[in-house]
Amino acid sequence: MTAEIRTSDGELLSVKLKKVERRRRTTAFLLAAPLLFFIVFAYVIPIFQMLGRSIDNAEMNSFLTETHEVMQTWDGSEMPGEDVTSTFYYELKTAVENKYHGKIATRLNYEKGGFTSLIKKTSRKLKNFDENANFLDQFIDVHKKWGDIEYWLALKRGTDAYHFRKYLTTFDYEQKFDGSIERIPEKLRINVTLWLRTIFVAVGVTFCCFILAYPISHLLSVLPTRYSNLLMICVLLPFWTSLLVRTSSWMVLLQKQGVLNDTLVSLGFVADESRLELMYNMTGTFIAMTQILLPFMVLPLYSVMKTISPSLMRAATSMGATPFHAFRKIYFPLTYAGISAGSILVFVLAIGYYITPALVGGAKGILISNRIAYHMQQSLDWSLATAMATVLLIAVLVVYWLYNKIVGIDNMRLG
Amino acid sequence: MSRLTKLISLAALLVAPSMATAAEVNVVSWGGAYTESQKLGYGDPYQEMSGVQVNWIDYSGGLSEIKAQVESGAITWDIIDVYARDTIIGCDEGLFVEFDFDNDFPAGVNGMKASDDFFAPMPSDCAVGNILYSWNYAYNTDNVNFDGSYPDSMEDFFNPDKYPGVRSIYSSAMSNLEFALVADGVPASDVYDYMEDNGIDRALDKLTDLCTNPNGGCIFWSAGAQPPEQLVSGEAIMATGWNGRHFNAIVNEGSPMKMVWDGQILDYEYFVLVKGGPNQEEAMKALQYFTSSEGLAGSAKHIAYAPFRISSLDVIMADEPWFYSEQAGAVEIMPHMPTAPANTENYVLMNPEWYADNNTEINDAWEAWKANL
Repeated sequence: MTAEIRTSDGELLSVKLKKVERRRRTTAFLLAAPLLFFIVFAYVIPIFQMLGRSIDNAEMNSFLTETHEVMQTWDGSEMPGEDVTSTFYYELKTAVENKYHGKIATRLNYEKGGFTSLIKKTSRKLKNFDENANFLDQFIDVHKKWGDIEYWLALKRGTDAYHFRKYLTTFDYEQKFDGSIERIPEKLRINVTLWLRTIFVAVGVTFCCFILAYPISHLLSVLPTRYSNLLMICVLLPFWTSLLVRTSSWMVLLQKQGVLNDTLVSLGFVADESRLELMYNMTGTFIAMTQILLPFMVLPLYSVMKTISPSLMRAATSMGATPFHAFRKIYFPLTYAGISAGSILVFVLAIGYYITPALVGGAKGILISNRIAYHMQQSLDWSLATAMATVLLIAVLVVYWLYNKIVGIDNMRLG
Repeated sequence: MSRLTKLISLAALLVAPSMATAAEVNVVSWGGAYTESQKLGYGDPYQEMSGVQVNWIDYSGGLSEIKAQVESGAITWDIIDVYARDTIIGCDEGLFVEFDFDNDFPAGVNGMKASDDFFAPMPSDCAVGNILYSWNYAYNTDNVNFDGSYPDSMEDFFNPDKYPGVRSIYSSAMSNLEFALVADGVPASDVYDYMEDNGIDRALDKLTDLCTNPNGGCIFWSAGAQPPEQLVSGEAIMATGWNGRHFNAIVNEGSPMKMVWDGQILDYEYFVLVKGGPNQEEAMKALQYFTSSEGLAGSAKHIAYAPFRISSLDVIMADEPWFYSEQAGAVEIMPHMPTAPANTENYVLMNPEWYADNNTEINDAWEAWKANL
């Protein structure tokens, strides 16, 4: 019978309803479309393009395509034959003519040190080569490094169109030329230390934020509105100040001749010779990062605590629970959603921090993000930088996934 | 007049001046007292003479930013002030314009052709010399821990038991490796020969001794203005740095500091012209003026860096006291130059080739050392 209901213009009601619904959905989509396109084009696509660089070596492969192909038949157990060396000679000659041999040298230098000078010297001498004589001998005459088989092996794998070796480097491993995977020499290990340090700092800062934010948020939620508003502004005011300004302020406060040390000395708590080392170490990193990230913990906690009815605690105490017991059994469990939302926010932000720790933390303040910045800006090894960034991104996604599994993302409230 | 026409005429007024000075050149340098000396020494005079606006942009070295600009196709820099190492790497990668040196740059006032007038041959075809500067160290003379005896050698810098206190050193390997080897007894002139022979490890061990000594300890600086600041604030008791910055702090700011020249590293600084920069033609003309005998001498009026041209020294010596600042008045600059005889009794000559060739190994070893400190 229901199928028989029709609208005034004679259409089936169910069809008409669907039409209206579809129109409404289209409108909603069109309204959201600009934002969606913006996110896709300005955010998602560039990120994936950048991440692709961690395995992409196509440019290098295109510079020395034929050499790479010829080298596939060479097993690397003894010096390469004339087919390889002659192909390489002609392709390098083209490279020199078109001025991209510098790029080749830089890229190959990531595979094996010493390639920069090797390619440069060879490129300069290339015009003296006799194209009818033995090429390998002539290469070795130009530079004795060409007599070392490892440089040819590095050339072979350095021209792969893509490879995953940068991900090994991310965890201080390397692939030897015989294919075996080993840890790099102890003196050169750096990334694992930094991964662990980053996690330590992120967890530590999250914990410090939690300890400090919990009482503040509670106070905010129970104070009368006029006082709590004032307190809220105190929490938010630093939030509106530029990150660099706040970091620099901490440097003024924490340095050896800084405000804090001066006060302690003048009050007689600390002797003038033994001023506290509060900066250029872990202490500085923790203090500054905790202060900067504190609002991200306060806001979710406050929004959850605001909704907890005070009568619940009264009910618990009236039934004989001690204040501590009531807090532990009733109040604290009700704030879980706020704690978890605040923690994930602070943790995710802390794990990617680098300006603040670099400025106030000194050498001890180097975190994995500083390494990424270093490879982007200084060493110019963008593949390694993006490999590390990918690992960091995955780590954050895993944390998010865990959060969603345990707490559920719907429970996140930010204020 | 209607409101609309008012608005339009106002807009026209605002736009007009920016259209009048369309010709401009963007020059990138290291900021602080150094950029100031360049601006006063040849930037402003050129602007007045040619009507081309010279914009000064600060950076802290390295090729990443220009590389990113080139890759994205949005180049905004014209001229960059770079280390010798970076002229080599950048030239190899095709970022910079290659010069036809004697045709592109004018002869000196002494009549010598450009390539003879510069102290040393250029490290690459893309470089044109700018200054000779020095990496040395300075200390705070007010510091109580010195007990009447003052450090006067590179060994003293590395001896925290004799002179206790935190040291501030450069945040990259450059300069630190050389200083460490000199302090460890390597003759200054042979430093790079020793580098090839396990020298990096030896230098890093020496630095570890300094930085982990309870009387010592290290902090790191990355901008040239930092070492004098850290010395004055007491954050560090001795700091390595660029002699011009130390000089500026002592002469212009009256800071209680003294430089030690033993084991100094004499280094060259260069200009490069960005290939495909927004104002390449204007920039080339500006560069010709900047690196002329008068241009280079001009910057020495404001900072204690030696001009790269021999003829610029003639210009200076003919007119000593050449240096002038409001705070210090006129000062004879020649004795403060890194090249002055009293300052070059024991010095290292920077080897940019070594850095360009071994860049990756040096940086890997250095960064791992720093992170595990």
